[in-house]
Amino acid sequence: MRTWIAIAGLGCVVLMVVFYRAFGTDPHDVPFMLKGKPAPAFAVTDLMTGQPVTSEQLKGQPYVLNFWASWCEPCEAEHPTIEWGARAFSDRVRFFGVLYSDTAENGKKNLAQRNASFPQLVDPHSRMAVDFATTGVPETYFVDASGIIMHKYVGPLDRQTLAYLVDQIAPRRAEAKQ
Amino acid sequence: MIALALTTALLLGDYAPQPMASEMLPPDQEARVQRIGEQLRCPICQGLSIAASPSPAARAELDRVRELVREGKSDQEIKDYFISRYGDWVLLSPRAEGANWIVWVGPALLLVIGAITIARTLKGPKAATAAPAPTAPADDEFLRRVREEVDG
Repeated sequence: MRTWIAIAGLGCVVLMVVFYRAFGTDPHDVPFMLKGKPAPAFAVTDLMTGQPVTSEQLKGQPYVLNFWASWCEPCEAEHPTIEWGARAFSDRVRFFGVLYSDTAENGKKNLAQRNASFPQLVDPHSRMAVDFATTGVPETYFVDASGIIMHKYVGPLDRQTLAYLVDQIAPRRAEAKQ
Repeated sequence: MIALALTTALLLGDYAPQPMASEMLPPDQEARVQRIGEQLRCPICQGLSIAASPSPAARAELDRVRELVREGKSDQEIKDYFISRYGDWVLLSPRAEGANWIVWVGPALLLVIGAITIARTLKGPKAATAAPAPTAPADDEFLRRVREEVDG
């Protein structure tokens, strides 16, 4: 009898461990393993000019990649914030928009309705997006000057968060000197 | 009216997702793509594989699997590519190692314990041998006096 009580007790402990592990995580939270690791290499083209844009060209420069699509409503809401950031931090960080799972035509039509001041990239078959472990749009990646992905932000950014994350990859000049 | 509006919007294609699927591979390689895709979790679905989900994210990942197959990568190399981005979470069947063993061995263990419990219950309790009635010691002073009282 005591053996069976011990087995039942052990079973309960195991179940508690399993439940603790399962309940301790958000099932909608997709793990992101590239944080703190080198950004994947990419070679894409500029949507408007057709010029190649590669990760090689960006070596030594911090940059922000904003994945978006013309069919994405939250992206529409986020565009003004990204545009603000691209202008406000142009002396420290380069901004790029990356069209995700969309056609170049739809992207151009969307861009015609707003005045994007930073380059927009075409990512055929969303290869670059998958390499960066994108799970949807909008998603924004912050890569520092050494090419390391410091942050990935899922969902529409607000100005305060954008400014904070830009500071993480490219400190203000006064801070950098300290 | 709503159906008409939705159909028109989809036909115009302004708001419909436009996944740009890569070219299909020969049937045997395509079957491999699907088989690998069935083992990888769609990042935005509830328990669906990227082979089963029509979402843009899943389509894009399946395209990447197709590309890696075309490049001659092995099944394990392709899985490792996704694990390096999403961790073990991306595998619909967790690997049998570490704490994951609980998931693999637990159900079988519970089945065995359950079967043993049922077997023991059906067998019933051991035939109880009638315990001899306790006999009072002959020299119990209290009982002797009770007997005297009863017998008069």
